[in-house]
Amino acid sequence: MTAARGESLWAMLVARGLATGAVPQRDKARAPWFVRVMLGIAGWIGALFLLGFAGVMFASILDRPLGAAVLGALACVGAAVMFRSRPKSDFAEQFGLAVSIAGQGMIVIALGKWFGMKLWPAALLMAGVQTCLFLLAPSFVHRVWVAWTGVFAIALALDDVGLRLLVLPLAMGVFTWVWVREFDFGSRAEMARAGGYGLALFACLQLVFMHGEQLWGLFLFGDVAQFGRAVAWIGAGLSAAVLPLAVVVLLGREGVGLDSRAGQLALASAVIVGVASFKAPGVGSAVAILVIGFANGNRVLSGLGILALLGYLSQFYYALHATLLEKSILLVCSGLALLLARFVLHRWWLSQPTEVTHA
Amino acid sequence: LTGNNINARRGTGWELPNLAANGKKAASMRNSRDEIVDWVEQGRIQPENLRFALDIGGALPVHSDWRGFLDRFLLWAGVLFVVAGAIFFFAYNWDSMGRYAKFALAEAAIVAALAFVWWRGLDRVGGRAALFAAALFVGALFALIGQIYQTGADTFELFAVWAAAILPWVIVARWAALWIVWIALLNIAIALYFHTMGGIFGLFFDPVRQFWILFALNTVALVIWEALAAVGVEWLRDRWAARVLATTSGGLVTALALYGIFDSKDAGGFGVPVWLAWLGCAYFVYRHRISDIYVLAGAVLSVIVVVSSFLAKHLLGDDAAFAFLLIGVIVIVMSAAGGWWLKDVASREAA
Repeated sequence: MTAARGESLWAMLVARGLATGAVPQRDKARAPWFVRVMLGIAGWIGALFLLGFAGVMFASILDRPLGAAVLGALACVGAAVMFRSRPKSDFAEQFGLAVSIAGQGMIVIALGKWFGMKLWPAALLMAGVQTCLFLLAPSFVHRVWVAWTGVFAIALALDDVGLRLLVLPLAMGVFTWVWVREFDFGSRAEMARAGGYGLALFACLQLVFMHGEQLWGLFLFGDVAQFGRAVAWIGAGLSAAVLPLAVVVLLGREGVGLDSRAGQLALASAVIVGVASFKAPGVGSAVAILVIGFANGNRVLSGLGILALLGYLSQFYYALHATLLEKSILLVCSGLALLLARFVLHRWWLSQPTEVTHA
Repeated sequence: LTGNNINARRGTGWELPNLAANGKKAASMRNSRDEIVDWVEQGRIQPENLRFALDIGGALPVHSDWRGFLDRFLLWAGVLFVVAGAIFFFAYNWDSMGRYAKFALAEAAIVAALAFVWWRGLDRVGGRAALFAAALFVGALFALIGQIYQTGADTFELFAVWAAAILPWVIVARWAALWIVWIALLNIAIALYFHTMGGIFGLFFDPVRQFWILFALNTVALVIWEALAAVGVEWLRDRWAARVLATTSGGLVTALALYGIFDSKDAGGFGVPVWLAWLGCAYFVYRHRISDIYVLAGAVLSVIVVVSSFLAKHLLGDDAAFAFLLIGVIVIVMSAAGGWWLKDVASREAA
């Protein structure tokens, strides 16, 4: 945004009584999303080298679970102290990020040694560590990272107890709750946004690489038969419900009644996608990310939703839970239903007098 | 501030939005949002007023935006699902359906899509979506021909012929998204060519020639794209498409530099010099000619990856602990300095 547009925007806010004084200086600490992504990746690379350093230097300590845990915890605490003591320093931010990720790596090593092949307690403990770091270490990029990996740890725990099919719908439920309430978090909005982006990243990667009963799961976590039929049905049902529920919540937030034409058409469209999600569970979640991103004026989220949808459809081709013919019928019928809904939007809606609604 | 104020600004109309105006509105929405969130985080606006501020700043969608969003979503999701479903259907190779019926179906889909294009025209979003569908149906038709007649053609030929067949439509459409699809088809054709001709091991052990050719293709496409956009070709000015090309080109030249570092014979010795030249050009063009911090951020990341790899190759030896620590600190310093520089550039651009 140019300085002139910024001044004009500020003047509008002052006129409405939402702001006072001169236009604020642009805060250099705030970076565009792609700069934050770059910093996150660089921090991760730095962490690998620091982990290598610790691995060689403290090999004998890391060999014992307690030693690795203590060393990892010290690194994480040190990083949190660094974030809190130098909140505006670029160097402290990057150093803290790399040290913290290296520390988390050491804690993972310790938990792996403690619990061996028993995954769920180790994963839950790691999720607890990530939660503490999320709350105590005030760095946006770091919070996105720990939110993402913390949710991933919970997903691994659910996976281990046979509830893999509930992972994505549950994550999407929390995602929806966080982003729909984005404006209600007050002074904790930045923290909530970081958590929301972490959830979005988790959901997108889950959709593209790991969702459902196919691909990775077959190789990493054994046969799908171990998951009960009930869990499969509940997972499919929740996946189908994700988008319609998100739309209902959004309509409520915007003050649009379900008896209005706007509400009815939005919900009907969501239900069409929701029905498709029963067999193609990622579709509804990806569209929910897109819709919520649009509703909050957040183009990064919308972009993630589009990428997740395209990525999911690409991997859906290889999914083994249905034949290509079944998947083809599902997609063509859903697509035609959506196009029909658009036809209705044009013919039925535009031919009616406009109504007063809030969104 | 009352709800009525917001509702008055939001309006109640559901008129179809203009495409160009919609794009400008979207850019404005994004910028306002970032700025207002920034001000809230600085404490200059009360956090509880964030929603109102975003509303007043035009950062949140209003009635016509929602109407346009629903319209576009239903159209594009509908087209995407139908096209994907059609491709899945032909890939299934259903025995119960005769070959002529399959051909009739694929060709009917193309004809129907083109008829829609003819009816709606390419200036309307419906016409564009139909052309997009027709371009993808052509690929399905070629795949069907190969499947039924067992032509013996390699997969790379399918993608190459597909790209050649839709080129006239791509030219006529004057639409960035379709050009990106076309360039992606060329990339896939080249990658599959090396996969087929180099054998299965060729892909994994000798990808350097493939990387050079793909790098050349994407870099030439990027240069032409930026040059035409700079001389005023309006439909090429969407930054997302140029960023896709820049990311691909930058990723490939970074991979070539890594090959140059770890196996200079494989990269022909030119990997690092070409990478340096690419960096210099990227800095000059995207800092001084076309301001695009996205590409600069990618270049910074590329520098971090290549420098850390270079140091790792030469320093990780007997005293590995010190080398790991040194490289880790260098990576952190480079990324912190890079982040500071990028934020500084962003601030200057905004001033």
